[in-house]
Amino acid sequence: MTTPPTAPPSAVTLTIEGRQVTVPVGTSMLEAAKTVGVLIPHYCYHPGLPVAGVCRMCLVEVEKAPKLAPACATAVAEGQVIHVHSDKALEARKGVLEMLLINHPLDCPICDQAGECELQDYTFQEGRSEGRYREPKRFNPVEDFGGDVVYVANRCILCTRCVRFMDDVAHDPVLNVSERGDRALIGKFEGEDLTHPWAGNVIDLCPVGALLSKDSLNKARAWEMDRTASVCPNCSQGCNMMVETRDNVVVRLRPRPNEDVNQYFMCDHGRLNYRWLNRQDRVDVPHVRNGSGMGPMGPMGPMGPMGPTDFDGALIAAGKVLSGKRAFILASPMLSNEALYLLSRIAKKTGGAGAFRVPQGDEAPLPGVEDLSLRRDRAANGNGAELFGFTRTDNPLAGMKSGDVLIVADEELAGVDTPNISAAGAVIVVGTMVPKWAAGKVAVVLPVANMAEEEGTFTNLRGRVQRFLQAKSPPGFARPTWWVLGDLLSAIGEKTDYFLASEVFAALAKDVPPFSGLTYDNLGVKGREIAGASTGARA
Amino acid sequence: MGYPHKPHGRETTVLSKHFGNRDAITLDGWKKFGGYKALGAALEMSPGDIVTLIKDSGLRGRGGAGFPTGMKWSFMKPGDGKPHYLICNADESEPGTFKDREIMRWTPHALIEGCAIGSYAIGAETCYIYIRGEFTEPLERVEAALREARQAGIIGKNAMGSGKAINIWVHKGAGAYICGEETAMMNSLEGRRGNPRIKPPFPAVSGVFGQPTTINNVETLAAVPPIINQGANWYKKFSRSDNPKSTGTKLYSVCGNIQRPGNYEVPMGFPFKDFLYELCGGPPPGRKLKAIIPGGISVPIQTLAEAEASLMDYEGFVAQGSMLGSGGVIVVDDAQNLVRFIARAARFFAHESCAQCTQCREGTAWTTKIVERIAAGDGSIEDLDTLLSIADNMTGKTICVLSDSCATPVVSGINKFRADFEASIKKRTMHPVPAVA
Amino acid sequence: MNAQTSSVGHPTSGHEPVFVGDRRNELDDILTRYPTKMAALLPALWIVQDSRGWVSEAGMAEVAEALELTPAYVKGVVTFYTMYHQHPVGRHFIQVCTTSPCQICGAEEVRDAFLRHTSCEELGVTSEDGKFTVIEVECLGACGFATPVMINEQFIESVTPAKVPEILRGLK
Repeated sequence: MTTPPTAPPSAVTLTIEGRQVTVPVGTSMLEAAKTVGVLIPHYCYHPGLPVAGVCRMCLVEVEKAPKLAPACATAVAEGQVIHVHSDKALEARKGVLEMLLINHPLDCPICDQAGECELQDYTFQEGRSEGRYREPKRFNPVEDFGGDVVYVANRCILCTRCVRFMDDVAHDPVLNVSERGDRALIGKFEGEDLTHPWAGNVIDLCPVGALLSKDSLNKARAWEMDRTASVCPNCSQGCNMMVETRDNVVVRLRPRPNEDVNQYFMCDHGRLNYRWLNRQDRVDVPHVRNGSGMGPMGPMGPMGPMGPTDFDGALIAAGKVLSGKRAFILASPMLSNEALYLLSRIAKKTGGAGAFRVPQGDEAPLPGVEDLSLRRDRAANGNGAELFGFTRTDNPLAGMKSGDVLIVADEELAGVDTPNISAAGAVIVVGTMVPKWAAGKVAVVLPVANMAEEEGTFTNLRGRVQRFLQAKSPPGFARPTWWVLGDLLSAIGEKTDYFLASEVFAALAKDVPPFSGLTYDNLGVKGREIAGASTGARA
Repeated sequence: MGYPHKPHGRETTVLSKHFGNRDAITLDGWKKFGGYKALGAALEMSPGDIVTLIKDSGLRGRGGAGFPTGMKWSFMKPGDGKPHYLICNADESEPGTFKDREIMRWTPHALIEGCAIGSYAIGAETCYIYIRGEFTEPLERVEAALREARQAGIIGKNAMGSGKAINIWVHKGAGAYICGEETAMMNSLEGRRGNPRIKPPFPAVSGVFGQPTTINNVETLAAVPPIINQGANWYKKFSRSDNPKSTGTKLYSVCGNIQRPGNYEVPMGFPFKDFLYELCGGPPPGRKLKAIIPGGISVPIQTLAEAEASLMDYEGFVAQGSMLGSGGVIVVDDAQNLVRFIARAARFFAHESCAQCTQCREGTAWTTKIVERIAAGDGSIEDLDTLLSIADNMTGKTICVLSDSCATPVVSGINKFRADFEASIKKRTMHPVPAVA
Repeated sequence: MNAQTSSVGHPTSGHEPVFVGDRRNELDDILTRYPTKMAALLPALWIVQDSRGWVSEAGMAEVAEALELTPAYVKGVVTFYTMYHQHPVGRHFIQVCTTSPCQICGAEEVRDAFLRHTSCEELGVTSEDGKFTVIEVECLGACGFATPVMINEQFIESVTPAKVPEILRGLK
């Protein structure tokens, strides 16, 4: 919500914490305050959910008003003067915090939420240093809510964000508030679990440690994790996310807000599909087949054993394998635009071609958000692959001609029974793994980083180009895919000297018309759509 | 009348004239007492004229808040193309109050007539009478009366041949004090938990089913037919000469430590002292009055001096440190320790809190635990400061006033009857408990 | 909700439907009074309780299906309202008002008398013969007739401890 430079008549001007602010009519005090950098403490309010106004944490003082106002549920009015940090407002919020804590166990040392807990944060910020509660605390047992969610009722502050998410966003009301008074808790019906494909969002929405992920239970403390802005690679929606790593291991994926793509949410498939980023059976050293640099390969040449080498040797070997041959590229739709662009140049240079296959799954929309869904296409960059001239097909090896050098670009063709590569003269693997079906014909292996280990961009199904950053370091000698491919281009005679992913992107923006005008700078952390993107839905 | 006792000479019986008279229950009997004459007359008037008449009469809501009824009706905009609803609040649950129960038991047709006139005046084709689930007998009587009225064509698709549809249905509650709060009642009617809603939007803009809605108390609606019959000026005469803001007669339910508990009807401005001693007979033999709650347990407790100085109307009770509220008079004599009484009142609110707002959900339960601990002889003087501080956090900060209502008897109790608390604390038997939060 | 096809172990298995015949007609009639199906939730739950004595999980599921709601939603509503029994109760469900106005008139002694004479001993616990359950109830709205007691649908005013044995004798 931004302030227009010249306020239209539908705008309201008021003062919040001494700062003048102009916002559209109907804006809540809480959102208006955000626009001038004032965070009004709150629990039940969430911009992606209907307003409940129940936690009473966001009470602020409004001059000339008899009572404190809940900032989340009160629309601003012309000329209002709002005090967020006045004594009266602070006292009220201190009272709320004390009440929230009387039945809340002080078990932060064993709570997963500690360190990213809004109850901790606000108590530290403006709560009492000592509670006055001397009575027994309420006790309720921990409950398995199904799906990835476990409910620790004792920590619950009844903000009802989870219930509202399931009701109003997921349209699957399986959670309720049960009982009343201080006996109230979040409930469900026996046998009806949190199995909705987007249910895991209730864990992020929970401001305290009441709803926890079974997957990441007790895995890492919040302060031990490093966080990197990224884009979910697990389908073509391109939900913005944070990759959270501990000691160079991805331990959790969480949604990163982007109003135009995923609002505040991320599906369970994407969220929980991260273990492949931590695979331990990676190829991490360049390999060449003994003698592969010395003579013709394939049925006519000697087939020695594979051996490790350095990148320089491997690249020279690859150049020789490709020399005078047509390259056929089996591309992964999980590769970045940068990698796919360079691969397309290799195809062009050798007069070859390329194809890719997109694994399919069931579509699973989040009904409360327009155009947000776990997509059938279970890969991030099928759209990018097509834009760079690769053919989308279920049988991506069909276009390979006899004698072609097959470049397997990080594609294992998982789920395909014994892919037929008999036509290939030789195979060059540019990847994180050497597929079994290619092993017999591999001449050169160039190990690369996976998407969490390098920087790049994806183009989602609506043509939105979004950046992901490097979250961890690649194993062994593996290098970013764009770097390896740039060197491979040089090795076949097309000189490149890219030192940064941004330089590759600048080159592709110049070469490939839909990307014209885009730069890493103007993509920012939320991305932009390519020229002529066919969405029509959002600007 | 002082039902279940004989009428007292100083009562003015408008609403309670037929309490205890089985003849008034049926349609035939009610007609003999002039029933449905007012509805017939009202249907001849324009809705706007009825609203003006009720405004002129000075009738104010009898449920507790005292909002002018005519003004409330005037917020409804007839002809806006939307369905309008009238809800009759018969959820009478405020401890100390049992007047609506008698209206429904003895004169159900008076209520139906009021509902029909109200519906017509605000342009509602549907009226729901929300009766608390525990009121089995009143509910049966109202249901039976509705069947009679429907059969006679008094209400229904063509009410009394006027061409106007006025449908009235009973909706039975299921045990929740908070459903007496108007927005909670709307949620309950819609089949939801009885959670009060944030205002705005106000019911007249977006009420039950998202449509313009008016909610009136049983006693308020039952007072409408006599006003139609006898005019605004007649009704206005029942008031203090120096206070025209409170008009008409008011039913009071009297309970607790009193000789003649029951329902009494007196004009606005009646002296409370006379009411307590003459009409209700004063305290039980050998006892003295000690504390009075004049308007249901949610209003501040009065000392005897405050009560004896009170004039019985909206402004009169405010002037003496309390409120008229629902007219539920609870009398406590000098044999009682108020700490137990207040602990039980707090437990009531803790039991009834809907659980939405933090201060109410946690504060009502916390308050209860402390006051019960004091009553059990394990309190300390510091507990009183804590209680007042908690009460402050519970006041004026939540969606509805249940939280405030829980704080009220605690604050007025500690401030006006501190000796009772100190007496309990002196009995202290256990060691202090350290803080756990 | 078809009892025959329900899976074993699910709360709805073996549930004999409530909304058949007259009760179905009753519900259909109630539905005509409201613009939404959801509004018939409280009345529908009353029908279930009237016919079964309590509202089981299976009953909630049946109501949910009849009104196009989810069982979790219905359960949230059921647990809000204290008059819906979520467990079977004694044949005679005795509710003694003990809120402040009745308390100062001796309601707690009335409560204790009921507990003693029904051999329930404890609030909310059904007597061994399944005959009685005694609970404290919040204000019954008859404070002038202390102590009011509700036994099932019957409302008894001005109960004193001395009257308890006689009241209980009248209950089969």
